Amino acid sequence: MRRSTLLVALTTTTALALTGCGRDDGGSAGEAAPQTGEAVSTEGLSGELDVWAMGAEGEALPDLVAGFEEAYPEVTVNVTPVPWDSAHDKFVNSISAGTTPDVAMIGTTWMGEFAGMDALDPTPGSIDTTKFFEGAQGTTEVEGTSYGVPWYVETRMVYYRSDIAAAAGFEEVPTDQAGFKEMAAALQEQDGVDWGISLQPGQTGSWQTVVPFAWSGGAEIATEDAYTLDTPETVAAVDYFGSFFTDEIADANPPEGQTEATFTDGSVPMFISGPWMMSIVEDFAAEAGEDSFGEMYDVAPVPAADGGESSSFIGGSNLGVFADTENRDAAWALVDWLTQPETQVEWYDMTSALPSVQSAWEDPALTEDAKLAKFGEELTTAQAPPSFPTWEQVAAAFDAEMEKVAKQGLSGEEALQAAQQQADSIGTGQ
Amino acid sequence: MSLVTGSRRRDPQGTRDATRSRSSRAPGAAREERAGWLLTLPFLLLFAVFTAWPVIQSVFFSVTDITNRDLRTPFQVNFVAVEQYAKAFGDPVFRQAALNTAYFVLIGVPLTMTVALAAAVALNTGITRFRAVYRLGFYTPVITSIVAVAVVWRFLLHPDSGLVNTVLSWVGIDGPNWLGSTTWAMPSLIAMATWRNFGTAMIIFLAGLQSVPQQLHEAAAIDGANAWQRFRNVTVPILRPTILFVSVTTAIGYLQFFEEPFVMTQGGPLNSTISASMYTYQQFSYGNYGYAAALSYLIFLVIAIVTAVQFRFLSDKED
Repeated sequence: MRRSTLLVALTTTTALALTGCGRDDGGSAGEAAPQTGEAVSTEGLSGELDVWAMGAEGEALPDLVAGFEEAYPEVTVNVTPVPWDSAHDKFVNSISAGTTPDVAMIGTTWMGEFAGMDALDPTPGSIDTTKFFEGAQGTTEVEGTSYGVPWYVETRMVYYRSDIAAAAGFEEVPTDQAGFKEMAAALQEQDGVDWGISLQPGQTGSWQTVVPFAWSGGAEIATEDAYTLDTPETVAAVDYFGSFFTDEIADANPPEGQTEATFTDGSVPMFISGPWMMSIVEDFAAEAGEDSFGEMYDVAPVPAADGGESSSFIGGSNLGVFADTENRDAAWALVDWLTQPETQVEWYDMTSALPSVQSAWEDPALTEDAKLAKFGEELTTAQAPPSFPTWEQVAAAFDAEMEKVAKQGLSGEEALQAAQQQADSIGTGQ
Repeated sequence: MSLVTGSRRRDPQGTRDATRSRSSRAPGAAREERAGWLLTLPFLLLFAVFTAWPVIQSVFFSVTDITNRDLRTPFQVNFVAVEQYAKAFGDPVFRQAALNTAYFVLIGVPLTMTVALAAAVALNTGITRFRAVYRLGFYTPVITSIVAVAVVWRFLLHPDSGLVNTVLSWVGIDGPNWLGSTTWAMPSLIAMATWRNFGTAMIIFLAGLQSVPQQLHEAAAIDGANAWQRFRNVTVPILRPTILFVSVTTAIGYLQFFEEPFVMTQGGPLNSTISASMYTYQQFSYGNYGYAAALSYLIFLVIAIVTAVQFRFLSDKED
């Protein structure tokens, strides 16, 4: 009994204290922040830099930064590889505990959240932000201020079996959405083809397939301070996406992890994915004894709605400097060095990560590969999702609605009204 | 007590205890009390910092609108009273998650206990020679990593190449896409959870069965009771405390249903396998700490109620 009285007392006291100092509603920190950070000096840099990077990048980065340490002998760079699975939590924990590294690789969709926590240092004006792909640069900007630079990029394109397409009478992939669907239907008529195209029927990340259809029809899924998911353009795109399932051109219940297998054996001759799938499908075919698979497929831009311009999703990772760094000049010097065209080409050779700097794409290493060059082309119009801190949460709600569209035949209008309602109640978090 | 008095005797000058022995209290009692507190201090400190404080803090969080964007300035958050709790009741996904959890508990707990008791009885009476082997075999899933289990079960349940559907096709049944179907995903997870967890309950039942006196069984047999009657009227009443213990622990474990959907289905398809704890975890990872804390307390409350009900109906009333 005594314990519960104490608890009530404690709760009430804190409750009173909390009401007394509510969050300041007007004038968020973002408005006061400068458009660009203070300039940095590269004179006489010294000291140590802690760098966090995820996945394959974390493992390969120590070799790359040896070049930076040669250029600035007084600076030591310590790279900590972080597994992707736990990276987000690790960052949030270190931000709240004040133990952030100096420089880190940051997922593009985390920028809004981390900047919202005041954890990132604004990009100094000395870094030329026009050299990056526009969509990629957009991922670093939160409320008009850039909080990092794009490091490497990727975008999604249509993969299709050129041999099967030729048999069905298609020399090229139609660039309009109606024609594209006709092609998928025609492919399905061919021998040995089960489904015309593989589209992700909802679940995590399916927005990356659906939203490009909307962008390619001129839709905007957010304004500066609100989500706008239920516009007529997006409704049309979601209905278009759903029609592949209702017309049974795409499988609404595909077995997991079969994309490579069904693409190489021709039973599902189209899918939409990023550049990493090139080596995956070629290796998969080579294992099955097909060495010239590279000639049997090609990539094409995401189809556009009438009068629209193809605009895919841009992904990848950014580099950021944390506000708590004690070696700000050296940190930004490292970021600047990592985004020099030469460094980016070297990095591509080491990890196949595509350069975020447009001029790096003029290097023969990238222009020689015709398919890769098409990705470079698609990157110039690719877009990023809104950089609101709550985007991941809204994306999850959107994905859940897309699953209903694919599996239960929900209309685009109903799905997007539900998604918009959830987005409104979640808010932008700014 | 003896230790303290003993040490006093070895203290010839009596300097340190001279004042204390003048007090009215039993000699050394205060000192012993202080030593007691001193010895438990490390635990109390750890408990206070890592258990008590987080519990108190989460109560505060659950009545505020705190998100991860407030972490650096935790005293800038707004007090919202029961708003977070009210939100849970109007949240369609959480309602779905609560229903899924109830489904899992209502089918899973009796199923697990039945299988566990049957296995325990079989091990206790029949196959004596291989008892150790079977006991190990039934218990191994409990200590196997959920990730390894998930990989194997995904193979088994694969709609095209899985063993389950292959066997079904031999008898002419076209098996469903187990994990991809809203009807079958939950039964698949319940089957997996039962297989994985019944070992714990089985071991406890086995210990309980071994304490049933053999004479009682013999006496009942002489009176003409058959095997089922002996089990029903001799074994079960003696096992009653064991059954209560197992049902409480299994129910608590199942109310926190998390790992199976997390690794097998991510809550899908169409949220048909999302559980209350998994939804709470998702809210926490989105940084909605206030809401996640409120959801945790709702789950805690349900566990407390279910446990109370079990004690009310299953405990030995004659005691």
